[in-house]
Amino acid sequence: MNKSAINQAPTGKFNGSKNGDHMLGPIQKIDVPMRRFGSDEEVDFCIVGVGSAGGVLLQRLARAGFRVVGIEAGPFWNTERDWVSDEAGSSKLYWNELRVTGGEDPITLGANNSGRGVGGGSVHWAGFTPRFHPSDFRVYSQDGVGVDWPIAYEDLKPYYELLEKEIPVAGPAYYPWGDPHGYTYGPHPMGGVGDVLIKGCTKLGIRVSAGGPVAITSGSHADRPHCIYRGFCIQGCKVGAKQSTLVSHVPDAIRHGAEIRDNCMVARINLGKKGLVTGVTYFDPGGNERELRARVVLVCGYAIETPRLLLNSACPGFENGLANSSGTVGKYLMVQIGNVVFGRFPDPIRMYKAPPAHALTEEFYETDPRHDFARGFAIQTVGPLPIAFAKQMMVAKGAWGWGMRRVMMDYNHWAALGVLGEILPWEDNRVELADDTDRHGLRVAKITFRLHDNDKKIARFGTDKTTEVLYAAGAEEVVHEARYAHLVGGARMGRDPRISVTDSFGRTHDIRNLFICDGSLLPTQGSANPGLTIQALAARTADYLISEGENALTGRPGTVSRPPVRQNLSPRGTSGRGVPRIK
Amino acid sequence: ANTSSRATARGGRYARTLHERGAQSYSDENRLPVDPKTRQPLPPRSQPGYYAGFSTLSQQEFWDEATRSVVRARVEQVPPIRYFSAEEVRLMQAICDRLLPQDDRDDAHKILVVNYIDDRLYNRRIDGYRFEDMPEDQEAHRLGLQAIEAIAQHMFHSSFIQLEPLEQDQVLQSIHDCKPPAGHDIWQKMSVMHYWLLIMQDVLDAYYAHPYAWDEIGFGGPAYPRGYMRLEGGKPEPWEVHEQRYEWAAPPSSLSGEYSPVGGEGEHKQQTPGQEGTH
Repeated sequence: MNKSAINQAPTGKFNGSKNGDHMLGPIQKIDVPMRRFGSDEEVDFCIVGVGSAGGVLLQRLARAGFRVVGIEAGPFWNTERDWVSDEAGSSKLYWNELRVTGGEDPITLGANNSGRGVGGGSVHWAGFTPRFHPSDFRVYSQDGVGVDWPIAYEDLKPYYELLEKEIPVAGPAYYPWGDPHGYTYGPHPMGGVGDVLIKGCTKLGIRVSAGGPVAITSGSHADRPHCIYRGFCIQGCKVGAKQSTLVSHVPDAIRHGAEIRDNCMVARINLGKKGLVTGVTYFDPGGNERELRARVVLVCGYAIETPRLLLNSACPGFENGLANSSGTVGKYLMVQIGNVVFGRFPDPIRMYKAPPAHALTEEFYETDPRHDFARGFAIQTVGPLPIAFAKQMMVAKGAWGWGMRRVMMDYNHWAALGVLGEILPWEDNRVELADDTDRHGLRVAKITFRLHDNDKKIARFGTDKTTEVLYAAGAEEVVHEARYAHLVGGARMGRDPRISVTDSFGRTHDIRNLFICDGSLLPTQGSANPGLTIQALAARTADYLISEGENALTGRPGTVSRPPVRQNLSPRGTSGRGVPRIK
Repeated sequence: ANTSSRATARGGRYARTLHERGAQSYSDENRLPVDPKTRQPLPPRSQPGYYAGFSTLSQQEFWDEATRSVVRARVEQVPPIRYFSAEEVRLMQAICDRLLPQDDRDDAHKILVVNYIDDRLYNRRIDGYRFEDMPEDQEAHRLGLQAIEAIAQHMFHSSFIQLEPLEQDQVLQSIHDCKPPAGHDIWQKMSVMHYWLLIMQDVLDAYYAHPYAWDEIGFGGPAYPRGYMRLEGGKPEPWEVHEQRYEWAAPPSSLSGEYSPVGGEGEHKQQTPGQEGTH
């Protein structure tokens, strides 16, 4: 591809100073000019990173009347102009700046799991939105592995219900796993890969969910068009059918007076004399160092950049990194087993059609005493496009040369299913600072990762089970590639300040007006895709901050332990909609 | 600048580039795939693969403007060579001609993968990370060329570009298998397996981003705002075509027609650089 032509294209300059300038899909516009706070004005909340969690926080805090600024390292996309229906042309959606990755079983980053730009990872997620199971919150008590969460499923459940409507999630009327529930919007039609999963599972007597739950509109709602089944979910949904916080929450945030400073990279969080943070220092798009003073700082940079920022903000009193008296910042980093298993079928499948995410089974999610490992995995549809599939075949079949050309000519005969397996939190899986620096001179993240015995057993069993499913569906050849999916952990929440970084609302144990809110908070991860849970946690933290009010803003100790669930903070046009289903 | 800096997707110039690098044997019959029954070479086609008559570019009026301009630029404005030296680009071309051979394509429809790789390296675009056991991508490619040349000298006492296709494949297979018989000083500086995955992913990134490759494999290509409507049963859209298979075997002068696992340690130690997300 001619990537230089793409690089020259204008990207991400927010041009919504006039009504309706800024397009998010073919019909959605940001219909008000964005508020701009003065360069020396102190704001209530500074949100670092406007992704899955940052977008939800920005929207709720603005709607509640606070003065909020989100600082985002990447662009504020105009999706009609900036996004393309093309695999190679979408590389700008990812965090492509240098990180160093190592350890015994190093994780890949960039396009696999790291977003950049307003909407963050939710721009390129496939959109599976299962809830975590109740057991995920008490893994240690129940299974003797990992660690318990400081909250229970019931604490998060109302926020799952809220976000499922705000996103909105399409799925079946009854979903049998974890805490059984139904979805308020109907499921999607099947694509070729979904048919394979359902056929194979049905033959083996494995229950399977068709058509969701996914963060993709199955019908049009207000200015969000329905899915057109083109299969480019991971390349950013130009249709606006797949949710990102860019299309679901950011427009409402702008309408309520939030400001987003895009293409701005936060260098450090500043600590004041009273042991409270005073704001952040960042590089503006021109590379000039600027300061934003804020009464509360919320770090929402995800599992690599959040620890990196805290470590890069080391200062007298916090020589090992800000809010890191426990030494836990950067540790207990997790990814999920994301092995992809491929079956070749005699008849064409054409797996590029339909969203990659559209059917799954969580039948193997929970600990099963018959297995020689704790916890489990899910099996989900995936739909790699040609470049991704070619790279997968390079490993799965060892293909190159004529063998690569041959297997690629059979692209339309292959169906791909993803194992999503739980990797437990281990202290030695971690984010540190590398000696390398980025273009601003900031030290980049160095990631060290290794699989432990339980993780490897889940990977093997999950891959074998998925292989069985593909053969049962009629595959004549099955191969697999090992890989990881998602990132979480690295600044985990917990009750004990000696072994965790924040409390359950994301407030750091060390600094009362410094919060973390993103996937890095997760103590464990289950075998559910984390996007919905990250957004639900953000809505819960927003409720907490709103309930604390002045206490939060002045850094006084919190007085609220169970904030009321606010039903009136949903983005315009999303509350009270949908078909009531079984709760 | 190298001669191929002016190369475009049009065949004449590509052929000239080949001629200038002394690759007259390029069109040798033993480089062509064969009919498995008769063992006779199959003549190059404008569009190999099982979807004769299918053209994604013919659908471009149904694409959005941003996508159309990106895909057309890829086809019509092939980036010039700016990173590799003239000598390096000849070697790189010979390597890529084996890593992903295009002898079954006529000259007018060859995809200039080296130019796209050069463009990435020249513009220092990376995938967001570097494995701890690897140098920067630019350096890795330079070292890789030196190592391949060292292996060719070790195995055949000749430069890689002078070797017969089968010999070239033996050199490359030794890297695929992670058992290179030479270049050990270079392999101290970078992982053999990660180098193999790096150069392969760069070739694949370039080739399968091209509409000619989409036509070859029957991929529908850009689909916004039109979308797809025939989701099940592998059915083509009204503007797609049915598969029309033919039998072919890799040329006798090649090793890559057979599948064997990439060498080195497997499973999660063997992940592709630049992989996209899945689920």
